[in-house]
Amino acid sequence: MTGSEQNQLGYYVYCVAETAAAQQLDPGSFPAAIEDKAKLEWVTANDLAALSSTVSLAEYGEEALAAHLSDATWTAVRAMRHETVVEYVAKRTSVVPLRFGTIYLERSGIERMLNEKGRELAQIIERLRGQEEWGVNVYSDRATLLASITEVSPRLRELARQAEAASPGQSYLMQKKIEALRVDEVRASLNEIVERIEKTLSAEATDAKRLRILKVEATEHGELKAKFAFLVKRSQFEEFRAGAERLAEENLAAGVRLELTGPWPAYNFSTETGLQ
Amino acid sequence: MSFEQIIVSGNGDSLEEQELSLLETLDHVLNRGLVIAGEITIAVADIDLIFLGLNVMLSSVETAQQVLRERQKKSE
Repeated sequence: MTGSEQNQLGYYVYCVAETAAAQQLDPGSFPAAIEDKAKLEWVTANDLAALSSTVSLAEYGEEALAAHLSDATWTAVRAMRHETVVEYVAKRTSVVPLRFGTIYLERSGIERMLNEKGRELAQIIERLRGQEEWGVNVYSDRATLLASITEVSPRLRELARQAEAASPGQSYLMQKKIEALRVDEVRASLNEIVERIEKTLSAEATDAKRLRILKVEATEHGELKAKFAFLVKRSQFEEFRAGAERLAEENLAAGVRLELTGPWPAYNFSTETGLQ
Repeated sequence: MSFEQIIVSGNGDSLEEQELSLLETLDHVLNRGLVIAGEITIAVADIDLIFLGLNVMLSSVETAQQVLRERQKKSE
């Protein structure tokens, strides 16, 4: 890398909002940019504005960035700053949050993007107005569910009774059968609970998405069974929350817990496919 | 943090909230949000690996606290 490239700047972009709304925000109270020495500034093109700050390409050039990303502390701190900036704007106006790591080499590249994607971006902003994203995580404690299922399933209760009365050999075989049935019933019962949660909460939301789960997310807190994102009107949130609380109470005995996170900028509802 | 986490399970044994919020936040920022082609946009294929790396690192509560302190400092 030559000396001049070392000093070259790129433009990191956080989110896109309407120009009129962007101009209402006080730059004096903006949070820190992804690199805290840089200032956040709006790059505008007609009705749309992208919030941006400069980054050194010595740090954020393609190769340098790839190297930094394998440093988890470096990445985590920057990701949190990205989030803080987007949250700041999302709390004040409708915004399209961009994925971490969107960088332009020229300021004019951002303007061009705003012009080319303007229609689509404006549609997303309009669609998200007055709404927030809420996350719902469903955890299951398998042992509790297993125990509760044996109690409530008539078929399993009857088999358990028969096994007690049977000869040792028969009893052994029946126990095996009971175990297999319990595994099936646990799976079916969990699926049913998760479906009911999705259906019930979708009724209180504008849109819902089921998210993928990485294996690593199974923790000592119970196993993460499902992960949803809901787009909820601010005016509808109390009902949404009450619905989640009811579901949590109903499913407590089955070892299922619900976790509500948010409010988030609408990260999961800002894709092109999210346009209906 | 403006971001709040609500656990609605009804029983008392709450999760380590901060650590979990941090992971949730990273998941949102790294895995989601509109992908607009900039000159540099992290390849989608790399994202899971990055997130997995962070996940492993953040299982150390100390590291998680350090990142959170950093965040609080910057947003003050």
